[in-house]
Amino acid sequence: MKGWRRSPPVRRGVALLLLLGVWEAASRVGVLDPFYAPPPSAVGEVMFTLAAGGDLWPHLGATAAAAFAGLLVGLVLGIALGFAAALVPLVADLLEPVMILLNAIPRVILAPLFVIWLGIGLASKLALATILVAVLIFFAVFNGVREVDRRLVERVRTLGGGRRILVREVYVPSVTSWVLGSFKVAVGFAFTGAVVGEFVASSRGLGYLLQFAQSTYNAALTIALILIIMSVVLLLFACAERIERRLLRWRYL
Amino acid sequence: MLRVSGMTVGYGGEPVLESIDLDVAAGEFATLIGPSGSGKTSILRVVTGLLEPLRGTVDLDVGVRDVGFLFQDDALLPWRTARQNVALGLRIREVAPAAADEQAEHWLTVLGLAGYGDRYPGQLSGGQRKRVAIAQVLALRPRLLLMDEPFAALDAIVRTRITQELLEWVERERLTVLLVTHDLEEAISASDIVHVLGQGPRAAIRASHRVEIPRPRRVLEARGHPAFGPLLQRLWDELAAERPPAPSAEPVES
Repeated sequence: MKGWRRSPPVRRGVALLLLLGVWEAASRVGVLDPFYAPPPSAVGEVMFTLAAGGDLWPHLGATAAAAFAGLLVGLVLGIALGFAAALVPLVADLLEPVMILLNAIPRVILAPLFVIWLGIGLASKLALATILVAVLIFFAVFNGVREVDRRLVERVRTLGGGRRILVREVYVPSVTSWVLGSFKVAVGFAFTGAVVGEFVASSRGLGYLLQFAQSTYNAALTIALILIIMSVVLLLFACAERIERRLLRWRYL
Repeated sequence: MLRVSGMTVGYGGEPVLESIDLDVAAGEFATLIGPSGSGKTSILRVVTGLLEPLRGTVDLDVGVRDVGFLFQDDALLPWRTARQNVALGLRIREVAPAAADEQAEHWLTVLGLAGYGDRYPGQLSGGQRKRVAIAQVLALRPRLLLMDEPFAALDAIVRTRITQELLEWVERERLTVLLVTHDLEEAISASDIVHVLGQGPRAAIRASHRVEIPRPRRVLEARGHPAFGPLLQRLWDELAAERPPAPSAEPVES
């Protein structure tokens, strides 16, 4: 019965526990300065207090609201602009250079500008999350439409299908698979936009807490928040993957 | 049934095909052979309206809806099941969804795919996908069937079997067929007349041969018919004479 020792999840779990154990021990015997590297137990305590004391939830809610709204608006905007650019050459000529530029830069540098324009409330976070997502989705749709399988288009045409049928049977499913391919990244981007937006200037949200923890040199809180954000994003990834598998079930057979 | 007159096709630059005249009589199984790159496929694409010719006309005795086109590859909509793929053409012709599904299932059964209706193309073998593609075309009850090297990608056994089934269907429905292939044996064993297209550019039809083997045929038996060998030899010779022009060598000083 040595099988379990070879299972990767078990090995990874053991490695993680070992790491935490060493960290905890090093912190306790004074090899690591707890001020900079608080032991896992201290971090765990902070996380528990945050969650149980109820301080965490309004902040998590604010970040999630900005991220989801940004994801939604970004998806709609990206899909609309992507289709427009793919179908109308004039729109492509106007949009493509802007999009390529926006795609090339780290878009989070726009955060201060959004704060100046839109204030420290939800709007500036929403704007940042939206632009992160929209540019990504724009290219997914733009390329998806342009690289649609010509053979399928011809096939449907010889079966008598017109423009409406082509859009429904070929273009939309084809683009959907492209968009879903970027969906997980988009979810991550939306969350990044919200958190970074809050980090730059805000009065609530996980990013705000993180900024507060940093300015007060609270390493335990900082690490706790990083872990919380990581868990939320991993949870969202799992959801995104489920949605992807559901919609692209023809691909996962 | 189908008359192509003075058709010239080009994609910019020198025309690929020039002044093609081609008649396919009702009920006739016609085959077009020719060197690759001679523009065989372009003729079919013009007939189905996928390609606009530079000059010339296409006259059909039937509506464009009565023309079925079986493509070379078996590209089906990957996000639709076999049944949905077959039903697609019917749905486009405004058959009610339930009736379209029922007919699609019937055609899958005819093609030997009963019980495969819920599979996606990714779950089917190459031969099965080809059968779905055939069902998709036959379900629309075409009067004229255009086929572009439909079985090129299949292995020999599947290929012979599907060809035989299709021949039987053509016989039963008295379909008019225009087949494009580069397989000479397939051309002879299936068709009433073989048209030989010359080497492009500016390819034209060089010769037409009647196949004097009585119909209905069985693919494998047709190959044993006394008329088969000599015709095969002639087609070989004609195609061999259509080699692409050799790149002009430097004149040799003597």
